[in-house]
Amino acid sequence: MARNISWLDDLAKAKDRARNTKKPVLLDFFNPQ
Amino acid sequence: MGAVTYPNDKVLKFVDDSFVPVQIQVSNAALMNQFKVNWTPTIIVLDADGNEVHRVVGFLPPEEFIPTFMVAKGKWHFNTEVHPEAQGIFDGALRDYPDSAAAAEAVFFMGVSRYKQTHDPKPLREAYETLTARFPGSEWTKRAAPYRLIPE
Repeated sequence: MARNISWLDDLAKAKDRARNTKKPVLLDFFNPQ
Repeated sequence: MGAVTYPNDKVLKFVDDSFVPVQIQVSNAALMNQFKVNWTPTIIVLDADGNEVHRVVGFLPPEEFIPTFMVAKGKWHFNTEVHPEAQGIFDGALRDYPDSAAAAEAVFFMGVSRYKQTHDPKPLREAYETLTARFPGSEWTKRAAPYRLIPE
């Protein structure tokens, strides 16, 4: 089974995790259609 | 991006190792407005405080996505004055993806990062010379043009 990127769907959580992991956020705006 | 680039094994590993990835649908009007996004895909690199580091609008294939966001991550280090890490990433992008569209930006920021670390202006002139030789039509070559005046 193919793996997928472990996307979050909440920017506030992403910023918290970025602070804790010392990584930048990759914010992808997408159209699911 | 979801059909071609994100399923790519190298992209997947690179993103999960290098970033905290978050996807927001265009239906989220509040964030679309906050970040002034009016076309997709739009991909923005942010620091943990939400400051924008890098933005790309439009599709990137895997072989361009990785060097483009290597340079973005290098700029993230650069912005916090962590120059050895920034230079290591710029160097890696130039070594592994020397012909990518992001390579010229990597040369530019490598020169600026080396200057900021050492306060020696010679790396700026070296960046201009490399850009002129390898990427004569690049916008980064034009941006580096004043560095030609730095004495050898």
